[in-house]
Amino acid sequence: MVIGIIVAVVLLSFAFMYNGLVRKKNQVENVFASMDAMLKKRTDLIPNLVSAVQQYMQHERETLNELTEMRAKAVSGQLSADEKIALQNQFSRALGGIMVAVENYPDLKADQNFIQLQSSLNEVEEQISAARRAYNAAVTSYNNAIEMLPTNILASMMSYQRKNVFEISEAERKNVDVKGLFKQ
Amino acid sequence: MKTIEELRAYYETDLLPTLTVLDRARKKVLLGLFVGIVISVIAPIIALYFSFGSVVLMAICFPVWIGVIIYLSISTGKYKKSFKVGIIEQIVRAIDPNLSYDASKAVNKSHFTHSELFKKSWNEYKGDDYVQGMVGKTSLEFSEVHAQHVSTDSEGRRQASTVFKGLFLVADFNKSFQGKTFVLPDTAEKLFGSIGSMLQSWNAARGELVKMEDVAFEKEFVVYGDDQIEARYILSTSLMERILAYKKKSNRPVRLSFIGNNVHVAISYKKSLFEPRIFRSLLNFRPIQEYFEDLSLAIDLVEDLNLNTRIWTKD
Repeated sequence: MVIGIIVAVVLLSFAFMYNGLVRKKNQVENVFASMDAMLKKRTDLIPNLVSAVQQYMQHERETLNELTEMRAKAVSGQLSADEKIALQNQFSRALGGIMVAVENYPDLKADQNFIQLQSSLNEVEEQISAARRAYNAAVTSYNNAIEMLPTNILASMMSYQRKNVFEISEAERKNVDVKGLFKQ
Repeated sequence: MKTIEELRAYYETDLLPTLTVLDRARKKVLLGLFVGIVISVIAPIIALYFSFGSVVLMAICFPVWIGVIIYLSISTGKYKKSFKVGIIEQIVRAIDPNLSYDASKAVNKSHFTHSELFKKSWNEYKGDDYVQGMVGKTSLEFSEVHAQHVSTDSEGRRQASTVFKGLFLVADFNKSFQGKTFVLPDTAEKLFGSIGSMLQSWNAARGELVKMEDVAFEKEFVVYGDDQIEARYILSTSLMERILAYKKKSNRPVRLSFIGNNVHVAISYKKSLFEPRIFRSLLNFRPIQEYFEDLSLAIDLVEDLNLNTRIWTKD
């Protein structure tokens, strides 16, 4: 009788731990997918942005071309997760540069079309940052489960590996160097 | 009007004359109260002196008592009303002339229900001191609200337990969103540490627990939402800091919910808000400062949470 109860409790707690681990892993994947969707949303805004600003921005032609090329690469769909993130970081940098350069073009700043686009971009950036934070939270909770007792025993049996949190790239952490950006 | 110094100047020039008149009204109310009590006590004594029978005694005393009660409630009601129009409304307008004030109205009950801030059931909703208007680009309304659960026990006595008492605010939020997000005082984690946090994650009625990375914020609040990403979209790192600062400034329990493109805020108070003194003189700056601080706390919500920043697609 007593042995029966002990076995039942052990089995149950195993089931709970197992389910918890799987849930945490799926949560990470789920949030990553959402983040990917938001990054794609930003990528989709690029052609509109380029067409809205190019008639005003004479000196930033190269950056705009670069943006278009990056977008082409992003939608080609042949990138690994790491490459994707690296490309998106480049996007962030180039977009940041464009937004700062806008200050030099009062006509553009007053353009209704551009103002709307700018709000959309701000929104997407905010969503991306939220998704990134959600991803990090999910990964932290997953990593904790993998490394802490007692779930770590089960996790190693299931060969779950630690995942990396998102870090803001070195390039993004620096202030945007507009001059350098447009000299390239 | 923003600072206490400005308020003091306003008090000296604009409020004092009204307060002087109101203080006379207050003394009248007080006199009425005194006379009322004396009459109520004397009536049965006189009746006893002439040794009327108990039926006659009651026939004399009841109408006298009822008359006194009616007179007192009318006179205090009048006094309160002229105080609210003469003082509270003036302070509201001095803080922001775009706001309107209605002493007898409250924030619509449907907003309170819609906010889902209180899970405990309530069946009586009262409130007054309703302020409404645009603060910059953001629409804001608030009032004092008292929601109670009223029941009668087996002996037919009325029993009321307060679900919420204090300021209830509704403001247009500057980002659009679909789901529900709740920011509530963190009692479990404060009391029980990480076990409390585990208990919180089982609170299914509110949706998923959203763990925030801001440690100071997490200590004060617990966040629930139906979407992990949207909750973080609403609660940006800067908004978390702002909410925390707002909570510290108010020095009271603060609850927020983000539903239907609005932010609902409930600030708990023990005292009744914006009521005139009766037993003490009105000619005193302290109570005026208190009214001003409570009103400012509510009106400054828009600025404190930065709701006028409209750089996203929502205008």
